[in-house]
Amino acid sequence: MDPTPTPDSSADPKTAPVQLALRGIRKSFQAKAGPVPVLDGLSFDIHERDFVSIIGPSGCGKTTVFNVIAGLLEPDAGTMLFRGRPVPGLRGRVGYMMQKDLLFPWRTVLQNVMLGLEMKGTDPREATDTARRYLAQFGLGGFENAYPKTLSGGMRQRAALIRTLIMDPDILLLDEPFSALDYQTRLYLEGVLLDAVERFGKTVVLVTHDIDEAVALSKRVVVLGGRPSRVKNVHAIELGDRSPIGARSDPRFSEYFHTLCGELDIQTRAGSASTARAEAA
Amino acid sequence: MTTHALKSAAAPEAERPAALRRGPGPLARAVDTTLGRGLIQAAAVAVFFAAWEIAVDAGWLTEFLVGAPSGIWRVFRASLMDGSLAVDTWYTLVEAILGFVIGTALGSLAGLGLWYSVLVARVVEPFIVAINSVPKIALAPIVILWFGTGFVSKVALAVSLTALVALIAAYQAARDADPDLQALMASMGATKNRIFRSVIVPSTLPAIIGMFRINIGFALVGAVVGEFISSQRGLGHLIYNASSLYDLNTVWVGLFVLMFVGFVLYHVIDVVERRILPWRQVSTAGGIQV
Repeated sequence: MDPTPTPDSSADPKTAPVQLALRGIRKSFQAKAGPVPVLDGLSFDIHERDFVSIIGPSGCGKTTVFNVIAGLLEPDAGTMLFRGRPVPGLRGRVGYMMQKDLLFPWRTVLQNVMLGLEMKGTDPREATDTARRYLAQFGLGGFENAYPKTLSGGMRQRAALIRTLIMDPDILLLDEPFSALDYQTRLYLEGVLLDAVERFGKTVVLVTHDIDEAVALSKRVVVLGGRPSRVKNVHAIELGDRSPIGARSDPRFSEYFHTLCGELDIQTRAGSASTARAEAA
Repeated sequence: MTTHALKSAAAPEAERPAALRRGPGPLARAVDTTLGRGLIQAAAVAVFFAAWEIAVDAGWLTEFLVGAPSGIWRVFRASLMDGSLAVDTWYTLVEAILGFVIGTALGSLAGLGLWYSVLVARVVEPFIVAINSVPKIALAPIVILWFGTGFVSKVALAVSLTALVALIAAYQAARDADPDLQALMASMGATKNRIFRSVIVPSTLPAIIGMFRINIGFALVGAVVGEFISSQRGLGHLIYNASSLYDLNTVWVGLFVLMFVGFVLYHVIDVVERRILPWRQVSTAGGIQV
Protein backbone atom coordinates (compact mmCIF):
# COMPACT_ATOMS: atom_id res chain seq x y z
CA MET A 1 0.00 0.00 0.00
CA ASP A 2 2.65 2.48 1.07
CA PRO A 3 4.96 3.33 -1.81
CA THR A 4 7.80 4.52 0.50
CA PRO A 5 10.08 5.89 -2.20
CA THR A 6 13.70 6.50 -1.28
CA PRO A 7 14.10 10.09 -0.12
CA ASP A 8 15.94 11.39 -3.15
CA SER A 9 15.09 15.03 -3.68
CA SER A 10 16.79 15.28 -7.06
CA ALA A 11 14.42 12.85 -8.81
CA ASP A 12 13.82 14.26 -12.26
CA PRO A 13 10.11 14.68 -12.83
CA LYS A 14 10.52 14.09 -16.54
CA THR A 15 12.04 10.66 -16.11
CA ALA A 16 10.06 9.63 -13.02
CA PRO A 17 7.29 7.15 -13.84
CA VAL A 18 3.79 8.47 -14.31
CA GLN A 19 1.75 8.19 -11.13
CA LEU A 20 -1.54 9.60 -12.27
CA ALA A 21 -2.61 10.10 -15.87
CA LEU A 22 -5.69 12.03 -16.88
CA ARG A 23 -6.95 11.12 -20.33
CA GLY A 24 -9.64 13.08 -22.13
CA ILE A 25 -11.50 14.21 -19.01
CA ARG A 26 -14.76 15.94 -19.90
CA LYS A 27 -17.22 17.44 -17.52
CA SER A 28 -20.21 19.69 -17.89
CA PHE A 29 -22.63 21.08 -15.35
CA GLN A 30 -26.38 21.37 -15.67
CA ALA A 31 -27.62 24.92 -15.83
CA LYS A 32 -31.13 26.18 -16.53
CA ALA A 33 -30.25 26.93 -20.14
CA GLY A 34 -28.77 23.44 -20.62
CA PRO A 35 -25.46 21.77 -19.94
CA VAL A 36 -22.44 24.06 -19.62
CA PRO A 37 -19.23 22.29 -20.62
CA VAL A 38 -16.38 23.07 -18.26
CA LEU A 39 -13.62 20.59 -19.05
CA ASP A 40 -13.13 19.73 -22.69
CA GLY A 41 -11.01 16.60 -22.87
CA LEU A 42 -8.30 17.34 -20.37
CA SER A 43 -5.16 15.17 -20.56
CA PHE A 44 -1.97 15.46 -18.57
CA ASP A 45 0.38 13.35 -16.49
CA ILE A 46 1.47 13.63 -12.91
CA HIS A 47 4.73 11.87 -12.15
CA GLU A 48 5.80 10.11 -8.99
CA ARG A 49 6.88 12.75 -6.47
CA ASP A 50 5.94 15.51 -8.85
CA PHE A 51 4.85 18.98 -7.82
CA VAL A 52 2.34 20.09 -10.42
CA SER A 53 0.47 23.36 -10.33
CA ILE A 54 -2.69 23.82 -12.33
CA ILE A 55 -3.25 27.45 -13.23
CA GLY A 56 -5.75 29.17 -15.43
CA PRO A 57 -8.07 32.13 -15.59
CA SER A 58 -10.83 32.20 -13.00
CA GLY A 59 -13.78 30.05 -13.89
CA CYS A 60 -11.68 27.72 -16.00
CA GLY A 61 -12.58 24.69 -13.96
CA LYS A 62 -9.48 24.35 -11.79
CA THR A 63 -11.54 23.27 -8.83
CA THR A 64 -13.51 20.89 -11.03
CA VAL A 65 -10.26 19.14 -12.01
CA PHE A 66 -9.39 19.01 -8.35
CA ASN A 67 -12.72 17.42 -7.45
CA VAL A 68 -12.47 14.93 -10.30
CA ILE A 69 -9.03 13.80 -9.12
CA ALA A 70 -10.28 13.59 -5.54
CA GLY A 71 -13.11 11.38 -6.71
CA LEU A 72 -15.75 13.83 -5.50
CA LEU A 73 -17.04 14.49 -9.03
CA GLU A 74 -17.51 11.91 -11.72
CA PRO A 75 -16.28 13.02 -15.14
CA ASP A 76 -18.71 12.67 -18.05
CA ALA A 77 -16.02 11.08 -20.17
CA GLY A 78 -12.35 10.19 -19.97
CA THR A 79 -10.29 7.98 -17.75
CA MET A 80 -7.82 8.33 -14.93
CA LEU A 81 -4.97 5.89 -14.63
CA PHE A 82 -3.31 5.51 -11.25
CA ARG A 83 0.06 3.78 -11.71
CA GLY A 84 -1.24 2.39 -14.97
CA ARG A 85 -4.56 1.08 -13.65
CA PRO A 86 -7.82 2.82 -14.42
CA VAL A 87 -9.45 4.24 -11.28
CA PRO A 88 -12.76 6.08 -10.82
CA GLY A 89 -11.15 8.63 -8.52
CA LEU A 90 -8.72 8.74 -5.68
CA ARG A 91 -11.09 8.76 -2.71
CA GLY A 92 -9.22 7.64 0.36
CA ARG A 93 -5.84 8.04 -1.32
CA VAL A 94 -5.61 11.81 -1.46
CA GLY A 95 -4.91 14.44 1.11
CA TYR A 96 -7.15 17.40 0.53
CA MET A 97 -6.47 20.99 1.54
CA MET A 98 -8.41 24.08 0.67
CA GLN A 99 -8.24 27.80 1.23
CA LYS A 100 -10.50 27.26 4.22
CA ASP A 101 -8.61 25.25 6.80
CA LEU A 102 -11.61 22.92 7.20
CA LEU A 103 -10.67 22.12 10.76
CA PHE A 104 -13.61 20.80 12.74
CA PRO A 105 -14.41 23.53 15.28
CA TRP A 106 -15.69 20.99 17.80
CA ARG A 107 -12.45 19.02 17.76
CA THR A 108 -9.26 20.06 19.47
CA VAL A 109 -6.13 20.46 17.36
CA LEU A 110 -5.04 16.96 18.36
CA GLN A 111 -8.42 15.44 17.51
CA ASN A 112 -8.46 17.28 14.18
CA VAL A 113 -5.05 16.00 13.24
CA MET A 114 -6.07 12.47 14.20
CA LEU A 115 -9.13 12.46 11.96
CA GLY A 116 -7.55 10.52 9.11
CA LEU A 117 -5.98 7.96 11.42
CA GLU A 118 -9.31 7.49 13.17
CA MET A 119 -10.94 6.75 9.86
CA LYS A 120 -8.28 4.23 8.96
CA GLY A 121 -9.08 2.47 12.22
CA THR A 122 -5.65 3.05 13.73
CA ASP A 123 -5.40 2.08 17.39
CA PRO A 124 -6.36 5.26 19.30
CA ARG A 125 -3.30 5.23 21.51
CA GLU A 126 -0.99 4.81 18.55
CA ALA A 127 -2.89 7.50 16.63
CA THR A 128 -2.53 9.90 19.56
CA ASP A 129 1.20 9.27 19.78
CA THR A 130 1.68 9.80 16.06
CA ALA A 131 -0.42 12.97 16.12
CA ARG A 132 1.54 14.38 19.05
CA ARG A 133 4.80 13.63 17.29
CA TYR A 134 3.66 15.40 14.12
CA LEU A 135 2.38 18.41 16.03
CA ALA A 136 5.69 18.75 17.86
CA GLN A 137 7.60 18.35 14.61
CA PHE A 138 5.63 21.14 12.93
CA GLY A 139 5.88 23.52 15.85
CA LEU A 140 2.36 23.06 17.17
CA GLY A 141 3.45 21.22 20.32
CA GLY A 142 1.59 22.66 23.31
CA PHE A 143 -1.53 23.39 21.23
CA GLU A 144 -2.86 19.82 21.32
CA ASN A 145 -5.89 20.69 23.40
CA ALA A 146 -6.61 24.09 21.88
CA TYR A 147 -9.69 24.53 19.74
CA PRO A 148 -9.06 25.82 16.19
CA LYS A 149 -10.95 29.04 16.98
CA THR A 150 -8.17 30.12 19.32
CA LEU A 151 -5.37 29.71 16.74
CA SER A 152 -4.12 32.18 14.15
CA GLY A 153 -4.90 31.57 10.48
CA GLY A 154 -1.37 30.38 9.81
CA MET A 155 -1.43 27.93 12.71
CA ARG A 156 -4.79 26.60 11.60
CA GLN A 157 -3.53 26.02 8.09
CA ARG A 158 -0.44 24.31 9.52
CA ALA A 159 -2.72 22.01 11.53
CA ALA A 160 -4.64 21.30 8.32
CA LEU A 161 -1.37 20.44 6.58
CA ILE A 162 -0.43 18.05 9.40
CA ARG A 163 -3.84 16.43 9.18
CA THR A 164 -3.23 15.92 5.45
CA LEU A 165 0.30 14.55 5.81
CA ILE A 166 -0.41 12.24 8.75
CA MET A 167 -2.78 10.14 6.64
CA ASP A 168 0.14 9.36 4.36
CA PRO A 169 -1.86 9.96 1.17
CA ASP A 170 -0.49 9.06 -2.27
CA ILE A 171 -1.17 12.52 -3.61
CA LEU A 172 -1.65 15.85 -1.87
CA LEU A 173 -4.39 17.89 -3.50
CA LEU A 174 -4.13 21.55 -2.59
CA ASP A 175 -6.71 24.10 -3.70
CA GLU A 176 -5.22 27.54 -3.06
CA PRO A 177 -4.31 26.47 0.45
CA PHE A 178 -2.44 29.63 1.41
CA SER A 179 -4.33 32.32 -0.46
CA ALA A 180 -6.21 33.55 2.61
CA LEU A 181 -3.01 34.14 4.57
CA ASP A 182 -0.79 37.19 4.76
CA TYR A 183 2.32 37.12 2.60
CA GLN A 184 4.80 36.39 5.40
CA THR A 185 2.81 33.48 6.82
CA ARG A 186 2.35 32.23 3.33
CA LEU A 187 6.06 32.18 2.51
CA TYR A 188 6.65 30.40 5.78
CA LEU A 189 4.00 27.76 5.12
CA GLU A 190 5.21 27.28 1.56
CA GLY A 191 8.58 26.41 3.09
CA VAL A 192 6.96 24.01 5.56
CA LEU A 193 5.05 22.38 2.72
CA LEU A 194 8.12 21.99 0.49
CA ASP A 195 10.16 20.50 3.35
CA ALA A 196 7.39 18.08 4.25
CA VAL A 197 6.85 17.03 0.65
CA GLU A 198 10.57 16.35 0.24
CA ARG A 199 10.84 14.51 3.52
CA PHE A 200 7.82 12.28 2.99
CA GLY A 201 8.35 11.92 -0.75
CA LYS A 202 4.84 13.05 -1.70
CA THR A 203 3.29 14.01 -4.99
CA VAL A 204 1.53 17.36 -4.94
CA VAL A 205 -1.15 18.79 -7.19
CA LEU A 206 -1.67 22.47 -6.45
CA VAL A 207 -4.59 24.34 -7.91
CA THR A 208 -4.01 28.06 -7.79
CA HIS A 209 -4.66 31.34 -9.52
CA ASP A 210 -1.43 32.68 -8.11
CA ILE A 211 1.31 32.49 -10.74
CA ASP A 212 3.92 33.64 -8.27
CA GLU A 213 3.16 30.71 -5.99
CA ALA A 214 2.94 28.25 -8.87
CA VAL A 215 6.39 29.17 -10.19
CA ALA A 216 8.02 29.23 -6.75
CA LEU A 217 6.74 25.83 -5.66
CA SER A 218 6.25 23.69 -8.75
CA LYS A 219 8.32 21.34 -10.77
CA ARG A 220 5.78 21.63 -13.56
CA VAL A 221 2.93 24.01 -14.29
CA VAL A 222 -0.13 22.96 -16.28
CA VAL A 223 -1.85 25.95 -17.88
CA LEU A 224 -5.55 25.61 -18.61
CA GLY A 225 -7.30 27.89 -21.01
CA GLY A 226 -10.32 28.34 -23.23
CA ARG A 227 -13.96 27.80 -22.50
CA PRO A 228 -14.55 24.91 -21.98
CA SER A 229 -10.98 24.52 -20.88
CA ARG A 230 -8.24 22.36 -22.23
CA VAL A 231 -4.58 22.02 -21.39
CA LYS A 232 -2.97 24.97 -23.11
CA ASN A 233 0.60 24.19 -22.19
CA VAL A 234 2.77 22.38 -19.66
CA HIS A 235 5.90 24.14 -18.44
CA ALA A 236 8.79 22.52 -16.61
CA ILE A 237 10.10 24.92 -14.00
CA GLU A 238 13.80 24.62 -13.32
CA LEU A 239 14.99 26.79 -10.51
CA GLY A 240 18.19 26.19 -8.56
CA ASP A 241 16.87 26.90 -5.09
CA ARG A 242 13.46 25.53 -4.12
CA SER A 243 12.97 27.46 -0.90
CA PRO A 244 10.13 29.99 -1.20
CA ILE A 245 12.48 32.98 -1.03
CA GLY A 246 15.35 31.35 -2.91
CA ALA A 247 13.07 30.41 -5.80
CA ARG A 248 11.71 33.92 -6.02
CA SER A 249 15.26 35.32 -6.08
CA ASP A 250 16.36 33.09 -8.94
CA PRO A 251 16.96 35.14 -12.12
CA ARG A 252 14.85 32.66 -14.09
CA PHE A 253 11.90 33.22 -11.77
CA SER A 254 10.65 36.39 -13.42
CA GLU A 255 11.18 34.84 -16.84
CA TYR A 256 8.84 31.96 -15.95
CA PHE A 257 6.51 34.39 -14.28
CA HIS A 258 6.19 36.57 -17.38
CA THR A 259 5.84 33.58 -19.68
CA LEU A 260 2.97 32.23 -17.62
CA CYS A 261 1.33 35.64 -17.34
CA GLY A 262 1.60 35.87 -21.11
CA GLU A 263 -0.13 32.50 -21.46
CA LEU A 264 -2.94 33.71 -19.28
CA ASP A 265 -3.11 36.95 -21.28
CA ILE A 266 -2.20 39.01 -18.25
CA GLN A 267 -0.57 42.32 -19.10
CA THR A 268 2.58 42.07 -16.95
CA ARG A 269 4.22 45.36 -17.84
CA ALA A 270 1.31 47.47 -16.67
CA GLY A 271 2.44 47.05 -13.07
CA SER A 272 -0.29 44.77 -11.76
CA ALA A 273 -0.21 44.00 -8.07
CA SER A 274 1.08 40.49 -8.56
CA THR A 275 3.94 41.67 -10.78
CA ALA A 276 4.99 44.22 -8.23
CA ARG A 277 4.91 41.58 -5.56
CA ALA A 278 6.95 39.14 -7.64
CA GLU A 279 9.57 41.74 -8.28
CA ALA A 280 9.67 42.82 -4.66
CA ALA A 281 10.38 39.22 -3.71
CA MET B 1 11.02 54.28 35.85
CA THR B 2 7.85 52.43 34.93
CA THR B 3 5.80 55.32 36.22
CA HIS B 4 7.43 57.46 33.60
CA ALA B 5 6.53 55.13 30.77
CA LEU B 6 3.02 54.68 32.10
CA LYS B 7 2.49 58.38 32.45
CA SER B 8 3.48 59.19 28.90
CA ALA B 9 1.41 56.30 27.57
CA ALA B 10 -1.61 57.32 29.60
CA ALA B 11 -1.41 60.99 28.74
CA PRO B 12 -3.26 60.96 25.40
CA GLU B 13 -6.02 58.85 26.98
CA ALA B 14 -6.50 61.41 29.74
CA GLU B 15 -6.67 64.27 27.29
CA ARG B 16 -9.50 62.67 25.39
CA PRO B 17 -12.91 64.10 26.28
CA ALA B 18 -14.86 61.84 28.62
CA ALA B 19 -17.62 61.31 26.09
CA LEU B 20 -15.19 59.62 23.72
CA ARG B 21 -13.84 57.16 26.26
CA ARG B 22 -15.09 53.70 25.50
CA GLY B 23 -16.77 51.22 27.82
CA PRO B 24 -18.77 51.50 31.01
CA GLY B 25 -18.01 54.14 33.61
CA PRO B 26 -16.38 53.39 36.97
CA LEU B 27 -19.67 52.95 38.84
CA ALA B 28 -21.07 50.45 36.32
CA ARG B 29 -17.83 48.52 36.45
CA ALA B 30 -17.82 48.36 40.25
CA VAL B 31 -21.41 47.11 40.42
CA ASP B 32 -21.10 44.64 37.52
CA THR B 33 -20.23 41.59 39.62
CA THR B 34 -22.36 38.55 40.41
CA LEU B 35 -23.14 39.98 43.85
CA GLY B 36 -23.76 43.50 42.54
CA ARG B 37 -26.14 42.37 39.83
CA GLY B 38 -27.89 40.01 42.26
CA LEU B 39 -28.48 42.83 44.72
CA ILE B 40 -29.96 45.06 42.03
CA GLN B 41 -32.24 42.28 40.87
CA ALA B 42 -33.36 41.44 44.42
CA ALA B 43 -34.03 45.12 45.08
CA ALA B 44 -36.15 45.36 41.92
CA VAL B 45 -38.25 42.38 43.01
CA ALA B 46 -38.63 43.76 46.54
CA VAL B 47 -39.71 47.18 45.24
CA PHE B 48 -42.23 45.57 42.89
CA PHE B 49 -43.92 43.51 45.61
CA ALA B 50 -43.78 46.32 48.14
CA ALA B 51 -45.46 48.71 45.70
CA TRP B 52 -48.09 46.07 44.96
CA GLU B 53 -48.80 45.48 48.66
CA ILE B 54 -48.95 49.20 49.43
CA ALA B 55 -51.29 49.80 46.48
CA VAL B 56 -53.66 47.10 47.72
CA ASP B 57 -53.49 48.34 51.33
CA ALA B 58 -54.19 51.91 50.25
CA GLY B 59 -57.14 50.73 48.20
CA TRP B 60 -55.73 51.82 44.85
CA LEU B 61 -56.01 48.19 43.67
CA THR B 62 -58.76 45.70 44.61
CA GLU B 63 -57.34 42.56 46.16
CA PHE B 64 -60.32 40.65 44.72
CA LEU B 65 -59.07 41.33 41.14
CA VAL B 66 -55.28 41.42 41.45
CA GLY B 67 -54.47 39.57 44.67
CA ALA B 68 -51.84 40.81 47.09
CA PRO B 69 -48.31 39.66 47.91
CA SER B 70 -49.25 38.94 51.54
CA GLY B 71 -52.15 36.77 50.40
CA ILE B 72 -50.00 35.02 47.81
CA TRP B 73 -47.46 34.24 50.51
CA ARG B 74 -50.18 32.82 52.79
CA VAL B 75 -51.53 30.55 50.05
CA PHE B 76 -47.99 29.54 49.09
CA ARG B 77 -47.10 28.55 52.64
CA ALA B 78 -50.36 26.69 53.22
CA SER B 79 -50.17 24.72 49.95
CA LEU B 80 -46.52 24.00 50.60
CA MET B 81 -47.36 22.67 54.10
CA ASP B 82 -50.21 20.40 53.03
CA GLY B 83 -48.10 19.09 50.13
CA SER B 84 -50.65 19.91 47.44
CA LEU B 85 -48.35 22.43 45.72
CA ALA B 86 -45.55 19.87 45.47
CA VAL B 87 -47.93 17.32 43.95
CA ASP B 88 -49.27 19.80 41.38
CA THR B 89 -45.76 21.00 40.49
CA TRP B 90 -44.52 17.43 40.21
CA TYR B 91 -47.34 16.50 37.80
CA THR B 92 -46.76 19.46 35.51
CA LEU B 93 -43.01 19.06 35.66
CA VAL B 94 -43.08 15.37 34.75
CA GLU B 95 -45.59 15.95 31.95
CA ALA B 96 -43.52 18.77 30.50
CA ILE B 97 -40.20 16.96 30.80
CA LEU B 98 -41.56 13.74 29.31
CA GLY B 99 -43.21 15.67 26.50
CA PHE B 100 -40.03 17.63 25.90
CA VAL B 101 -37.78 14.57 25.84
CA ILE B 102 -40.04 12.44 23.65
CA GLY B 103 -41.02 15.25 21.26
CA THR B 104 -37.54 16.70 20.95
CA ALA B 105 -35.90 13.31 20.50
CA LEU B 106 -38.38 12.12 17.87
CA GLY B 107 -38.29 15.42 16.01
CA SER B 108 -34.51 15.79 16.09
CA LEU B 109 -33.93 12.24 14.90
CA ALA B 110 -36.43 12.60 12.08
CA GLY B 111 -34.99 15.98 11.08
CA LEU B 112 -31.43 14.69 11.05
CA GLY B 113 -32.58 11.56 9.24
CA LEU B 114 -33.92 13.70 6.40
CA TRP B 115 -30.30 14.63 5.66
CA TYR B 116 -29.80 11.12 4.27
CA SER B 117 -32.20 11.55 1.38
CA VAL B 118 -32.68 14.77 -0.52
CA LEU B 119 -35.59 13.14 -2.35
CA VAL B 120 -37.49 12.20 0.81
CA ALA B 121 -36.77 15.61 2.31
CA ARG B 122 -38.15 17.40 -0.74
CA VAL B 123 -41.26 15.21 -0.87
CA VAL B 124 -41.96 15.63 2.83
CA GLU B 125 -41.23 19.35 3.12
CA PRO B 126 -44.62 20.80 2.14
CA PHE B 127 -46.39 18.42 4.51
CA ILE B 128 -44.19 19.51 7.37
CA VAL B 129 -44.83 23.15 6.58
CA ALA B 130 -48.59 22.51 6.38
CA ILE B 131 -48.75 20.59 9.65
CA ASN B 132 -46.55 23.14 11.34
CA SER B 133 -48.83 25.98 10.30
CA VAL B 134 -51.69 24.54 12.36
CA PRO B 135 -51.67 26.07 15.84
CA LYS B 136 -50.93 22.91 17.82
CA ILE B 137 -53.05 24.09 20.72
CA ALA B 138 -56.05 23.59 18.44
CA LEU B 139 -55.28 19.88 18.61
CA ALA B 140 -55.81 19.83 22.37
CA PRO B 141 -59.47 18.69 22.29
CA ILE B 142 -58.63 15.79 19.96
CA VAL B 143 -55.63 14.82 22.01
CA ILE B 144 -57.85 14.68 25.11
CA LEU B 145 -60.37 12.55 23.20
CA TRP B 146 -57.67 10.15 22.08
CA PHE B 147 -55.52 9.96 25.17
CA GLY B 148 -58.04 10.60 27.92
CA THR B 149 -58.10 13.18 30.66
CA GLY B 150 -55.12 11.82 32.58
CA PHE B 151 -51.43 12.23 32.51
CA VAL B 152 -50.84 10.75 29.02
CA SER B 153 -52.87 13.37 27.16
CA LYS B 154 -50.74 16.19 28.63
CA VAL B 155 -47.55 14.46 27.59
CA ALA B 156 -49.02 13.87 24.13
CA LEU B 157 -49.93 17.54 23.80
CA ALA B 158 -46.42 18.58 24.83
CA VAL B 159 -45.01 16.12 22.29
CA SER B 160 -47.20 17.55 19.52
CA LEU B 161 -45.95 21.05 20.35
CA THR B 162 -42.27 20.18 20.49
CA ALA B 163 -41.75 17.48 17.85
CA LEU B 164 -42.21 19.62 14.75
CA VAL B 165 -40.16 22.48 16.14
CA ALA B 166 -37.36 19.99 16.75
CA LEU B 167 -37.76 18.38 13.34
CA ILE B 168 -37.57 21.67 11.46
CA ALA B 169 -34.62 22.96 13.51
CA ALA B 170 -32.66 19.73 13.14
CA TYR B 171 -33.36 19.40 9.42
CA GLN B 172 -32.38 22.98 8.69
CA ALA B 173 -29.20 22.67 10.70
CA ALA B 174 -28.29 19.42 8.94
CA ARG B 175 -28.92 21.01 5.56
CA ASP B 176 -26.68 23.94 6.48
CA ALA B 177 -23.78 21.75 7.61
CA ASP B 178 -20.61 22.86 5.83
CA PRO B 179 -20.45 21.02 2.46
CA ASP B 180 -16.68 21.47 2.37
CA LEU B 181 -16.24 19.50 5.58
CA GLN B 182 -18.36 16.77 4.03
CA ALA B 183 -16.27 16.86 0.85
CA LEU B 184 -13.12 16.61 2.94
CA MET B 185 -14.46 13.52 4.68
CA ALA B 186 -15.54 12.04 1.35
CA SER B 187 -12.08 12.60 -0.12
CA MET B 188 -10.71 10.62 2.81
CA GLY B 189 -13.00 7.79 1.80
CA ALA B 190 -15.61 8.29 4.53
CA THR B 191 -18.97 6.52 4.21
CA LYS B 192 -22.23 8.44 4.46
CA ASN B 193 -22.78 7.12 7.99
CA ARG B 194 -19.33 8.26 8.98
CA ILE B 195 -19.99 11.75 7.59
CA PHE B 196 -23.28 11.79 9.47
CA ARG B 197 -21.59 10.94 12.75
CA SER B 198 -18.46 13.05 12.32
CA VAL B 199 -19.82 16.15 10.58
CA ILE B 200 -23.61 16.37 10.59
CA VAL B 201 -24.32 15.51 14.21
CA PRO B 202 -21.65 17.72 15.80
CA SER B 203 -22.29 20.66 13.50
CA THR B 204 -26.04 20.60 14.18
CA LEU B 205 -25.67 20.34 17.96
CA PRO B 206 -25.51 24.10 18.62
CA ALA B 207 -28.77 24.66 16.72
CA ILE B 208 -30.39 21.64 18.34
CA ILE B 209 -29.48 22.77 21.84
CA GLY B 210 -30.68 26.27 20.98
CA MET B 211 -33.99 24.68 20.02
CA PHE B 212 -34.10 22.92 23.42
CA ARG B 213 -34.66 26.32 25.02
CA ILE B 214 -37.66 27.01 22.82
CA ASN B 215 -39.03 23.53 23.32
CA ILE B 216 -38.82 23.67 27.12
CA GLY B 217 -41.28 26.57 26.90
CA PHE B 218 -43.52 24.73 24.44
CA ALA B 219 -43.54 21.59 26.56
CA LEU B 220 -44.74 23.62 29.55
CA VAL B 221 -47.42 25.21 27.37
CA GLY B 222 -48.58 21.75 26.29
CA ALA B 223 -48.75 20.44 29.85
CA VAL B 224 -50.56 23.50 31.23
CA VAL B 225 -53.07 23.83 28.40
CA GLY B 226 -53.82 20.11 28.69
CA GLU B 227 -54.48 20.64 32.38
CA PHE B 228 -56.72 23.63 31.65
CA ILE B 229 -58.96 21.51 29.50
CA SER B 230 -59.41 18.62 31.87
CA SER B 231 -57.42 17.37 34.78
CA GLN B 232 -57.36 16.57 38.46
CA ARG B 233 -53.80 17.67 39.16
CA GLY B 234 -51.09 20.00 38.01
CA LEU B 235 -50.26 23.71 38.05
CA GLY B 236 -52.56 24.31 35.08
CA HIS B 237 -55.37 22.68 37.03
CA LEU B 238 -54.51 24.81 40.08
CA ILE B 239 -54.54 28.05 38.07
CA TYR B 240 -57.69 27.24 36.13
CA ASN B 241 -59.68 26.17 39.19
CA ALA B 242 -58.56 29.10 41.29
CA SER B 243 -59.36 31.65 38.60
CA SER B 244 -62.88 30.27 38.16
CA LEU B 245 -63.28 30.83 41.92
CA TYR B 246 -61.78 34.35 41.69
CA ASP B 247 -59.02 33.18 44.03
CA LEU B 248 -56.35 35.43 42.52
CA ASN B 249 -53.73 34.72 45.18
CA THR B 250 -53.77 31.01 44.32
CA VAL B 251 -53.58 31.84 40.60
CA TRP B 252 -50.45 33.86 41.28
CA VAL B 253 -48.91 31.03 43.26
CA GLY B 254 -49.40 28.73 40.26
CA LEU B 255 -47.98 31.31 37.87
CA PHE B 256 -44.92 32.05 39.98
CA VAL B 257 -44.16 28.37 40.46
CA LEU B 258 -44.50 27.85 36.69
CA MET B 259 -42.15 30.75 36.12
CA PHE B 260 -39.69 29.20 38.54
CA VAL B 261 -39.94 25.79 36.87
CA GLY B 262 -39.32 27.28 33.42
CA PHE B 263 -36.41 29.33 34.76
CA VAL B 264 -34.75 26.30 36.33
CA LEU B 265 -35.22 24.14 33.23
CA TYR B 266 -33.76 26.89 31.05
CA HIS B 267 -30.66 26.96 33.22
CA VAL B 268 -30.39 23.19 33.19
CA ILE B 269 -30.07 23.51 29.42
CA ASP B 270 -27.35 26.12 29.84
CA VAL B 271 -25.40 23.63 31.92
CA VAL B 272 -26.00 20.87 29.37
CA GLU B 273 -24.87 23.17 26.59
CA ARG B 274 -21.64 24.03 28.34
CA ARG B 275 -20.94 20.35 28.90
CA ILE B 276 -21.74 19.23 25.36
CA LEU B 277 -20.27 22.18 23.47
CA PRO B 278 -17.03 23.12 25.20
CA TRP B 279 -15.67 24.39 21.90
CA ARG B 280 -18.36 27.04 21.74
CA GLN B 281 -17.18 28.55 24.99
CA VAL B 282 -13.67 29.40 23.82
CA SER B 283 -12.99 32.68 22.15
CA THR B 284 -10.03 34.85 21.35
CA ALA B 285 -12.18 37.95 21.70
CA GLY B 286 -11.41 38.12 25.43
CA GLY B 287 -13.99 40.09 27.34
CA ILE B 288 -15.97 41.20 24.30
CA GLN B 289 -19.48 39.84 24.66
CA VAL B 290 -21.59 39.64 21.57
